[in-house]
Amino acid sequence: MTDPLLPAWSEPFAPEARERLIRSAALRQVDREWAWGGATGAGVKVAIIDSGVEGTHPVVAGRLVESVTVEIVDDEARVVPDEPIDMYGHATACAGIVVGLAPEVEIYSVRVLGADLRGKGAAFLAGLEWAVEHGVQAMNLSLSSKSERLFPFFHEVVDQAYFKNVALVCAVNNVPGLSFPSTFSSVFSVAAHAIADAETFFYNPSPPVEWGAWGVDVPIGWKDGGTTVATGNSFAAPHMCGLVARILSKHPGLTPFEVKTALAAIASDPSET
Amino acid sequence: MADPGLTAALQALRRAARRSSVARRFDADAEQVLLQTIVDATVALFEAEASSIALFERDPDRLEFRVAAGAQGAGAIGLSVPPSRGIVGFVFSTGQPLALSDVLSDPRFDRATAERTGYVPRSIAAIPLVDRDQTVGVLQVLDKHTSPTFSLRDMELLAVFARQAAAAIRAARVQRDAYELFKSVLTRLGDSDVTEADVEAVVSAATTGLDTDEEIPFWRLVDRVAQLRDISDRELGLVTDILEVVAAHAARGRRSV
Repeated sequence: MTDPLLPAWSEPFAPEARERLIRSAALRQVDREWAWGGATGAGVKVAIIDSGVEGTHPVVAGRLVESVTVEIVDDEARVVPDEPIDMYGHATACAGIVVGLAPEVEIYSVRVLGADLRGKGAAFLAGLEWAVEHGVQAMNLSLSSKSERLFPFFHEVVDQAYFKNVALVCAVNNVPGLSFPSTFSSVFSVAAHAIADAETFFYNPSPPVEWGAWGVDVPIGWKDGGTTVATGNSFAAPHMCGLVARILSKHPGLTPFEVKTALAAIASDPSET
Repeated sequence: MADPGLTAALQALRRAARRSSVARRFDADAEQVLLQTIVDATVALFEAEASSIALFERDPDRLEFRVAAGAQGAGAIGLSVPPSRGIVGFVFSTGQPLALSDVLSDPRFDRATAERTGYVPRSIAAIPLVDRDQTVGVLQVLDKHTSPTFSLRDMELLAVFARQAAAAIRAARVQRDAYELFKSVLTRLGDSDVTEADVEAVVSAATTGLDTDEEIPFWRLVDRVAQLRDISDRELGLVTDILEVVAAHAARGRRSV
């Protein structure tokens, strides 16, 4: 029963309600074994907001579940089914890295790039909204927008994602100037480090970039079944996304805030690398 | 101790910035001249086989390689690629910098375009040219001599060059847009007695004012030198001698202050 004298926002903290605040993990005891020991990503849906995942590519290992894209007709953005093909190779690279770390995730490809969608922030936004609405638990966004006009809309959908417990993992853009959503506080913003190990990642307590993951000379899947070696924050983000998927598969229901806390607890020790 | 790579980069950029201002006085093709300086500097600093800049053009939408430098660069000039294709297209479409090495391990990778340039690279770094919130083109570097891949530091330095290129493009376009704007307004306002030449004269008088520091002696000198472009080698030698004397005199003057 709620106390009529208590402001609504304080209700969760009232003595009789506090039982609901008990969480499953004691974060002080978090280690990698607790966080993801034995985890495969099973049961976790990950959206790749990008150039379209190539469904038959070996690095995707058959984990692609659904492909959609955004159509823009008369300034109206509409999400429609898409062929499982990649316009550039970039989405396939990201999906491959996520699957490499969490082999049993379900991949949802949301294509917001391509011949008709060049640099269209509105398509990116519509794809992001679709993924939030369709119950994915994590997303990889190795791209960002610079459109000042769309800033408030991105802010709103990123908040929606946070409140729905969707972890948004975003590559930061090194090009100067505002770019989002990677610089929003609730997302997992990722830049590259050069240590060739998929599980080596760092927590940076001085935001906006909170995470550093492998992003230099990363072997990746690329267009038309090909492979190559790539450098960029684009390839650091999916490493974090894969690790987030692992944690969520072992601990379903953790909030983005809790996942960040767990990651901070098990981040690589900078003095040992 | 200062990083020699960074010092070299900063010097190259200072030269580029100065040349940008000078080039605007010399001719209307300032954008081209400055972009060329930037790819020249990029090739030198990265010790690369080639560097080039592609700018976005409409009707049809395409990325057009405007300048290139390096032993393997020339083939790219004038080439156009659709923004939906290849590394350059991806970097342009997303604004996200990217480097690929071991490109040849993918037999289908962008080979058609690469072959049109007469050179198939082993590694590529590409970075967007961002003017405010618009991506206007891409700067790319192919194959460093010293390393098969591009480091994070390389990407950072390349971003500095890309910023300079974007600023140059903006400056040139502001000038060009202002020129076009004046011209269209004057043409509309003018009656049938106003000739094209009259319009041109008024427009150049108006847009020249966009260059600041009109009274600084340096700019008067630049204008004079610009007028000397067509003179013979012998006369040019004489002018060079005079300029050296002037420079020496100026240096003495500065020391005595």
